Amino acid sequence: MNKNRSSLIIMRDTVHALMMREIKTRFGANRLGYFWALMEPIATVAVLGLIFTLVGRHSLANIPVAVFLFVALLPFKLFTNLLNHLSSAVEANKALMAYRQVSAIDPIVTRVIIELSIYLIVYCIIFSFLAWLGFDVVPDDFLKVLAASALLALMAIGFGLMLCSAMSYWGDAKKMVGIITRPLLFISGIMYSATMIPTTYWYLFDWNPIFHVMELSRDAYFSTYVTPVGSWLYLGICALVSFSLGLTTFYVNRLRFITT
Amino acid sequence: MIHFEHLDKYYKTKKGRHYVFKDVNISLPTDRNIAILGPNGVGKSTLIRLMGGADMPSRGRIHSQKNISWPLGLQGGLQGSMSARENVRFVARIHGYNNTKAIEQQVEEFAEIGRFFDEPVKNYSSGMRARITFGLTMGFDFDFDVLLIDELGAVGDANFRKKSEKLLLDKYEKTKLIMVNHSIRGLKKYCDAGVLIHEQNLIFFDSLGEAIKKYRDIYVK
Repeated sequence: MNKNRSSLIIMRDTVHALMMREIKTRFGANRLGYFWALMEPIATVAVLGLIFTLVGRHSLANIPVAVFLFVALLPFKLFTNLLNHLSSAVEANKALMAYRQVSAIDPIVTRVIIELSIYLIVYCIIFSFLAWLGFDVVPDDFLKVLAASALLALMAIGFGLMLCSAMSYWGDAKKMVGIITRPLLFISGIMYSATMIPTTYWYLFDWNPIFHVMELSRDAYFSTYVTPVGSWLYLGICALVSFSLGLTTFYVNRLRFITT
Repeated sequence: MIHFEHLDKYYKTKKGRHYVFKDVNISLPTDRNIAILGPNGVGKSTLIRLMGGADMPSRGRIHSQKNISWPLGLQGGLQGSMSARENVRFVARIHGYNNTKAIEQQVEEFAEIGRFFDEPVKNYSSGMRARITFGLTMGFDFDFDVLLIDELGAVGDANFRKKSEKLLLDKYEKTKLIMVNHSIRGLKKYCDAGVLIHEQNLIFFDSLGEAIKKYRDIYVK
């Protein structure tokens, strides 16, 4: 063993060790989790798609239903997964904090890497599959699609860190995740876009930064869709504020995670 | 040496702060085997955990140039949802080993718990946990200067005690111990110096006999 490892190398080794452990629990001992990571969004889109087809819609805002839904649903899944897994990251690895090499931020870093990797891989697989089915899936502006997801991830990490700190004071804070994310599924513009809402009601939706993520993603993805409300500035500010608040609360509480 | 500087440690209770240590300034030698003495609840395990980096001081700091182990004890250190093998792998990896096969094998042989080695640790008896915890120090040569041991021997059977005793004596030359043990006989076997926890402070004694005498004077009535 190398006795003189720098702090950065120790962190790399620790994150690697945590990653090996986390992947096992994330996907289950029998590896069925890999299947569900893929099937869950597909099943959701299948059900929603079926409903739309039954009421006679084959396209939404001139975009095929499946593509329209996936472009928004996958980022939404990223958001809820990050929130869920980050808020319990420290709690789930508590016993391992007994080793001085493991600090509170390590399980967070590990889970962020895992969730982002799952997101990118699932995204690629699903859209390759759609392409194979004959849909036009090449994004109009790839970088903007990526930017919207990146800002969403930053925002989710911020919220996750805050929840993680909150949980060290109040264990039931975890229940907030469900309470927050369930209504978000309906008000974040996953099954509809701003152009389908009367202008007078936009104010009901445009405070929600996730709604902006969906709008901007669709705007970037489809050349035919131009968002009337999506604002990079608003989303950027929300992401930065959430991320820095999250980091601050986490830093202030970092010793609590080890001592209690 | 392990240096304590203005160390405070308190726990929050319903009736305010409960101080375990208050303004401790002391340097403990790392070339001696030290027994930690004190009655239940006075802070022996807390002291071990503080030195092992598993707990943080409320104020002040502890520092040392020496390579000090994590606290080897029954609580903490092993993640209940992981099997012993996964725990061993984890500890090996955070210490910078990339190839963990040999270490797993050594711990498995030392622990002698059979197929439970691949069962979640939460299903273990305390004796089995002790075997894994001890086996971990055996499994790879960490080159620790100081091993922190918190009442590990207390739960083992005769066979395990013999094995762990041999392990400690093998490493005796290079690795020193700081240990908590409620049996005076057990302490006498390994230790030659003592630290007494008294009035939220630490008192170091050069000879174990003296420490035990003082302990009896203060606490045993």
